[in-house]
Parts: sequence; structure tokens; C-alpha cells
Amino acid sequence: MSIHDEKYAKRIEATFAKYPDKRSAVMPLLYIAQEEYGWVSPEGIEEVAQYCDMDPTQVKSIAGFYTMYSEQPKGKYWLQVCNDLPCALRGADEFHKQLKEYLNVEEGGTTADGMFTVEHVMCLAACDKAPMLQCNFHFVENLDMEKMKAQIEQWRAEAKAEKK
Amino acid sequence: MVTNITKTVTIYIDDVSYQVPAGANLVDAAKALGNDIPVFCYHPKMSPVGMCRMCLVELGSIEKDRATGEVVLDDKGQPKVRWFPKLQTACTTNVSDGMTVRTNTKQVDQARENVVEFLLTSHPLDCPVCDKGGECPLQNLTMEHGPGKTRMNFADKMHLDKHVPLGDLIFLDEERCIQCARCIRFQDEVAGDDVLAFHERGRSLQIITNSEPGFDSYFSGNTTDICPVGALTTADFRFGARPWELTNVPSICPQCPVGCNTSLSTRLDRDAGGRAIIKRVMPRQNEQVNEIWICDKGRFGHHFSRGADRLQIPMTGNAPASLTRALQVAADKLKAAGSDVAVIAGSSMSNEDLWALKQLANGLGSERLGAWPPTHAGADLVAQVGVGKGTNLSALGKGDAVLIIASDLEEEAPVWRLRINQARKRGAIVVVANARKTQMDEFASETATFEYGEAPKFMADIEASDLGKKLAAANNLIILTGADGLTLVESRALMQSAANFLIKTGHIGKANNGLMSAFPGSNAMGLYYMGFTPEATLDIAQKPPKVLIVAQSDLIADDPSVGEWLTKVETIISLTLFNDALAGLATVALPIQSFAERDGTFVNGERRVQRFYTAQGPIGEATPAWQVAGRIGELLGQGKVKLSAAAVMLDITKSVPAFEGARYKELAHVEPQFPMIQKDVYYGGTAYENTGGLGVQIPTAADQGETLNVGEVFVPETPKVGKGKMLIIPTQVLYNRERTFQSSELMHPRVADPYAEINSADAKRLNINNGDMVEIAIAGASAIRVRAQVDGRAPKGAVILPRHLATNAVPLTATVGSISKVGQAAVVEG
Ligand code: SF4
Ligand code: SF4
Ligand code: FES
Ligand code: FES
Repeated sequence: MSIHDEKYAKRIEATFAKYPDKRSAVMPLLYIAQEEYGWVSPEGIEEVAQYCDMDPTQVKSIAGFYTMYSEQPKGKYWLQVCNDLPCALRGADEFHKQLKEYLNVEEGGTTADGMFTVEHVMCLAACDKAPMLQCNFHFVENLDMEKMKAQIEQWRAEAKAEKK
Repeated sequence: MVTNITKTVTIYIDDVSYQVPAGANLVDAAKALGNDIPVFCYHPKMSPVGMCRMCLVELGSIEKDRATGEVVLDDKGQPKVRWFPKLQTACTTNVSDGMTVRTNTKQVDQARENVVEFLLTSHPLDCPVCDKGGECPLQNLTMEHGPGKTRMNFADKMHLDKHVPLGDLIFLDEERCIQCARCIRFQDEVAGDDVLAFHERGRSLQIITNSEPGFDSYFSGNTTDICPVGALTTADFRFGARPWELTNVPSICPQCPVGCNTSLSTRLDRDAGGRAIIKRVMPRQNEQVNEIWICDKGRFGHHFSRGADRLQIPMTGNAPASLTRALQVAADKLKAAGSDVAVIAGSSMSNEDLWALKQLANGLGSERLGAWPPTHAGADLVAQVGVGKGTNLSALGKGDAVLIIASDLEEEAPVWRLRINQARKRGAIVVVANARKTQMDEFASETATFEYGEAPKFMADIEASDLGKKLAAANNLIILTGADGLTLVESRALMQSAANFLIKTGHIGKANNGLMSAFPGSNAMGLYYMGFTPEATLDIAQKPPKVLIVAQSDLIADDPSVGEWLTKVETIISLTLFNDALAGLATVALPIQSFAERDGTFVNGERRVQRFYTAQGPIGEATPAWQVAGRIGELLGQGKVKLSAAAVMLDITKSVPAFEGARYKELAHVEPQFPMIQKDVYYGGTAYENTGGLGVQIPTAADQGETLNVGEVFVPETPKVGKGKMLIIPTQVLYNRERTFQSSELMHPRVADPYAEINSADAKRLNINNGDMVEIAIAGASAIRVRAQVDGRAPKGAVILPRHLATNAVPLTATVGSISKVGQAAVVEG
């Protein structure tokens, strides 16, 4: 595992091309590291630091400042349920609770099989489609538990297929 | 704050008008006028960030008519002031003409009180067990401006980790941090090692380091001085003593040629049997030498002064003896030898010691005075064309240049490297020219390379090159040499060529121009002025005398070849700090006092004579070396021993022209310095005010317009390296296993395991892998076992072998040898 992997080469090159100096590419590269490792791992930080010619301390500092970088290992599917006021008014709190029960995880926890992490977040600007969640930064909207269960099955199937 | 601005502007503080330098920072300007605006995040040595809001003031400007430029007057005929609607941070404000400031109003008082109250909402208030208590900006400013009572429920406070090691040397108390970012900015802006940062935000904000090893910087200790709370503490001092128990004695760091001014904080200590001992080493302000910084070697390397290996009692023939008897034996031996005696003196001995030793030898009719270690030649050239009187590295900037050649300055003279890096940031060109990649490259604006052995030639030919032209054209030029990979003869040739270039291009005899060298020890220039030379040392090795006085020089650990000739010396008289191998060989071993137990002077690399004072109680029967030499002289009928170091110096000032004007009283002279750190700890930190003296810089021959004599440059042939052999390049690393550093146990994790760097092509050819145990064989020396580092820093054909890491001595200067994997015969190529 590494962001030096072939598959990122083009993206990294394009990223560097956008900025006048290497340092500026640190955030996009951190996303790539997060994609590769599932979280911003120490290895990822080291690699990004090398790419951007920065001290790893500074890279870690940036990863720590922005909430969309995760410095803890996450499940394959990182489910961020919005339960800010508008969503809450449409039952997001209850939905969030049921989802955790269904997957048998605590707030912020990850399922034993490493598949799902559930946590709540502030408004994701999709209040009109509540309840909603964000899975690996993609929106899944107009949810209820029935729909959610089907979606979970689909993800499981996808993951299985990927493994083969 | 170094400002060359002579223009002044008029500002009004609390309704009084003042003239201040145009563009000055408002906090600095007010400070100089005696108005202390409280600050936490602002520091006069770093750029302002406006993060803490402690410095809020009412700010306005005198209104002027746009059309006419006339000052607008109010009904009472007073100039009309246009005030900012809200308070402004003084630290982010630069003064301008007509600026009006109020620092004594109710609104300002209220703001200060509120800021302190906010800071304390989540502060643990554990002053009674805090190392900073007693010299803490937060404590002081709370007393002065704080609300006096808390409205915060203790249970609501954020509780965080109180003992986070940021590395081996510095601990972080997360609760105490007030998030001022001084430590971060110091590492970034001043030290140039960007290894601290904030992590998370809001109440969870913490200081982190992600370097390997943690907090990887030679300057980490300084962050504990400027941290305005007890969040950062040193492993050396934490829980060691309370600041108000300490007696602070002005001293000079004995570790390197920078000659940082320090303050030794001492206390009568139970653990030391009630004697006064050093509890910590702190920087002491000398803006021309070290500003308010010191490196971690200087800060944490003081333990040798009371190490368990200090020699406590005199020895004759390896048996304890009384001092009277030992001195008598020494005198008898010297008398019997007539003039067939010589002295080798170490580079960290005081001028007084050296002078007394010289008197002793001269009195016997010997002029054989050797300097130890004999690695760097050309101190005489520094005396002629060294940096001009009044040189201040802080004055270098745009248009100026520094050439660092054959030196890894980061490892050899850390605070010079810090200050030169800052010069580069101000716009100076810093060229690093070496035969290998060094730590210093990172701080260069450009690098140049040559092959090992070619440094003198590179320097001699530089004039014709583009680089040479650029350097010649600089407004100010300093050349700083080392002896990396040079023999003594090559070192002289390099110094001569550098001197010639400086003379030719007119960069001599004025401030901020001239020659410097990263000599070993703290008093290599003193050795020169007192008549000790490295060439004499080689001569002593060639023709060993009957009686050799070895003073504060670890010959056996420093040089594998001494064994060869030392056995030919009939009698060794050792004046030593330690009960070391040489003391065992000596007929007489006399314990001498370290820099901490007596007073004296050193001459730093910029030729500044600086005075250090008695700090610590005596160790055993050790006496100052000048006294030992003087008393032996007295026994030999050379006259009475001097009564004090000051009296010895008086003698020196009368006999050595360079020291004219360097009497103790003159050395103790102080002047106001900027920034004005003395009055409070919240502005500059806990670096000490200089009360012990700024020292006196010896003028160069060029400064005084004397005739210069560089001598004919002899550029030696590069040594031929035979088949199957490699060039062995001994180098200097800051953290090593020298006896004067070994007792600082807290530094042990930071001292590298013995290693040697080799080029990957050589490694492949010799079948050596990274991390392999290798043996380095050099004629006349025991094999040296180290781990191989195949990291692409070593040039082809060379083995980079740091001195004082391995148990067996590494050669003093570049030589030829072979390297092979342990358990495998050397690969000999045909
Ligand atoms: S550790 Fe000290 S210097 Fe660093 S940010 Fe915190 S309070 Fe400031
Ligand atoms: S730079 Fe040199 S003189 Fe200064 S503290 Fe470090 S070792 Fe001592
Ligand atoms: S409140 Fe949930 S998306 Fe806006
Ligand atoms: S904001 Fe001015 S000192 Fe902190």
C-alpha cells in the first residue's frame, strides 16, 4: 500500500501542475492518502510529506485541523449521518439511532467485520432530502431504515464481489 | 530588533509625544519608552501573529485634512484624533507618524482582565507544582491584570495529558498550553527546523511533533524559555528546583567556538552533599554572539562538570598523593628534564590556564607549545583577517554573502548555523561548499561540491568562477571554514586561500567581513594568542620530549596514533578533569577545575574575549589549571603563583598586545541591548539579562591597518588512494561520546550508534548492505567497528566516519584505510 502506486500517478501529477509550489498540493494529496489507506495513516503522512517537501509534522497538523480527514482507521464504508436541526426535524435522530442498532456499533464505532463506521455530522447542505448520510463523501438521500437495509446489503455484495 | 532605520516619527502614548524609529513595532517602541504593553504571543525575535489579544490598546491617528494635509483641530484647538472603533492589537501595529495610543484607560484594563480570564478558563492553575512558577508570564500578568477571582467551575475545565514527551528532551503539559504558537514559530522562523505544529482546533488544540526522533532540533531547549507558561519544560530541569531558589552565575558555554553567553542556575543541593551545583543552563543575552539562544548541547551538556569520572585527588604513579607531594614530583621531573619539555593544551582551557602553562614551559627554556586537537590550522590568519571588529551576524542580509567551506556547521557550531540561516532568510546568499552532502545544505541558498582533498584548490581558484565573482561583489562577505576531510597542511592551505580571496576582494578590516573558522572547543583562538599551535603538536609527536605536560586533552580517545609516540615520552604530567586513560599513564596526574568551578576567559571564534564566573562548588581537590602550573613554577623558582585569575589576566594584558583592553573589569562591561529582555519574562522569555559582561573583541591586524602576511600557499597533492583502499574522512557530530558529553545521560538516546557512511556504488562493490557491521582498518590504529549507512550522502571512494561515536579512536584528520564487512575478508581488487 502506498500513494506511490501507479494508479495515483496521473492524479498526483495533475495536482502538482495546478499549484506554483509543492506545498500547496498537500490537501489533495492527503485525500489520496485517505483513499488509499482508508484513513490518514502515519505512512500516508510520511508519503505526502515527501511528495510536498514538508516536515511530516506540518502535514499531520493539516490532517488534524480539517474534519474531513480521518486520523483513525475507518470501516470500508464511512457513514456520516446528518442530524443537525433540519434533518433532526425529519427524524434523523431516530434514523441514526436505528442504524447504529442495526449495525450494532457505538457512535463513531466500526463494525466487527471492518465494513461500516457510523458517526453523526453537522449539516451537509442536503436538508431537503433528509434523513440523509454521506458515505465516503457521496450523498445517500431520502432515507428510511428499509431503504438503508437494502443499501447495506448492496454494499456488502459489492465488497464481496471486489474481493473475488 | 535590528533596525537600520534612522528616520523617526512622532507618536503619542497616553497623551505624551515621543520620537520613535519609523516602522518600529508598537510593542517594541513602547517598551523602549518604558511602557510595558503585556504580551503572550508576541516575541521581539519573531513575526507577530496577533493570536492572544493580550496587547489590546486604544489606537487612533491624528486627523489630517485630505486636501491640505493640515492637522484638523477640535473645538479646544487640540489635534483631532480618529480612533478605531474597537481596541487593536499593538503587536501587529507598526508605528506611523501621528499615531495615538492609549494604554491606561478603563477599556484597556478591562480588555486585559478579560483576556487573562479567558486564558484561565481552561488553565489548570497548578503553579505550586509548575516548573515555570516564579518566572511565568501568565502568573505575572494574572497578578497584574487578572480578575483575581475565578467564575469558572473547576470541574468544567478541560483536562488533558500533563506529561507528553515531545522527544527525549522536552515535555509538553497540554493543559497549560495557551496556544500562542511561540514554540512553533521559533522552530520555523528562528531555528529553521519546522518540527512543531498545532493539531486539531479549538479547545482540543495541541502542540505536536511528528519528526523522527521526536522534536528533532538542536535548538529545542529555547522553546522552554519563550513558552509563556509551563507547558514546555526540559527533561533536565523539570521538577529539579524552583526558580527563586537559584543563584544565577554568568558563564560561557565551553563546547564550541561560538562562545554562547550562558547563565548557570545553581543551588546548594542536598543530592550533592550541600554543595552548589548547576541545576540548569540558560541563555544570557549577547546580541552579537548568541542573541538569546543556545543549542541543546550547551544547555544539557553541563553534567560532565560533576561527572562520576572527575579526577578528585592528585595521583603519583597511580597512587593517591597529597597535592603538595604531587606538585613536588612534577617539579622535580621537570627540573631533571631541563628544557626538554613540552606542553599540549586542550582547546577548551581558559586563557589564564594557557598563559600559566606557557610561563612554566618558557621558564624552563622550552617553546614547545602544542594545541589539541591538531585538526584546524590558520588561527593566525583569523587574527589577521578575521571578521572585523563590530561584526554581528544579525546585521547580514540582502546583498551580503557567507561562504561555508569544508564544514558541517550544523554539527560544528550550531548557533552560528542558526544565525547564518536567519541571515539567509533576510536575503543573504549562503553558499555551502563541501565534498559531501551535509546537514548544512538544507540551510544553503546554493551548494557547491569538490572532491575530497580539493578544498584548498577550490578556494584558490574560486576567483575566476561565477561563484567567486558573486562572492566578491557582495557588500559584506564572511568566509567560514572547517576542516572536514582536510589534513592539517590542507587546512592551512584552505585558510590561506580564503584569506587571499578576502584580501583581494577587499572584504577585510571592517565589520561583517572576514574569516571565521569552526575551530574545535571554546578557546582555540585563545590557544593561538597564547602561543600554542597545532603544528607544534605534530612536532611534539615527531620528536617526543622527555617530559610532556598534557593539559585538558583527551589524547588517547581523540587520536589512535598517539600510542606510537607517547610511549617514548619518559614522564607524562597530566592536568586533567577526568580520571581517564592518560591519567593512568601519567607519572603525575593533577585534578583541575572545570569551567563551572572557577573563573576565567575564553576567546570565541569571532575573537571576543569573554569572561565566565565561578558557579559550582569545588570537586575534590581539583584546583584551576593556572594555579597548578603556577605552583609548579613557584617550586622551580619561577616566582610567586598569582593569587587570582584576574591577576593572571592582568599579566596577559601587559604582555600580549591583542589582550590590551581585556582586563576583567573591561570584560565585565555591559551596555543596553535590544530587545530589552531584562525587565520582565513575558516579553523576551526567560533568557537572562547580561550582567556579567559583553566581552571585548580583539581587533584584527587588518582592522588596525597592519601589514598582512598570509604566507605562501602550499597546496599539497591530493593523497593517492591505493587499490582496495578508501579515503577515511573523520567528521564532527554534535552529539557524541566525548567525555565532556558522556555524563549528560539524558542525551544518550540522542547519540547515534557508531556508524560510517559509504556510497552505494562502493557498498555494492564491497558487498556491504545498509546496516551491516563493518570494520574499518587504518594503519597504526585498532580496527573500528561501526554500522554501515549506505545512504547516498558519502561521495564515491570515501568513508564518512564520525569521530567520538565508536569506542576505538577515529583518526584526527583524513587518512587512507579499508572497510570490510565483519566476518568477511576485505575485498581486494586486482
Ligand atoms: S507550548 Fe507554550 S509556546 Fe507553545 S503554543 Fe503552548 S503556550 Fe505557546
Ligand atoms: S552553539 Fe556552541 S557555544 Fe553555543 S550553546 Fe551550542 S555548543 Fe555551546
Ligand atoms: S441539516 Fe442535515 S443536511 Fe442540513
Ligand atoms: S495578540 Fe498581541 S501579543 Fe498576542
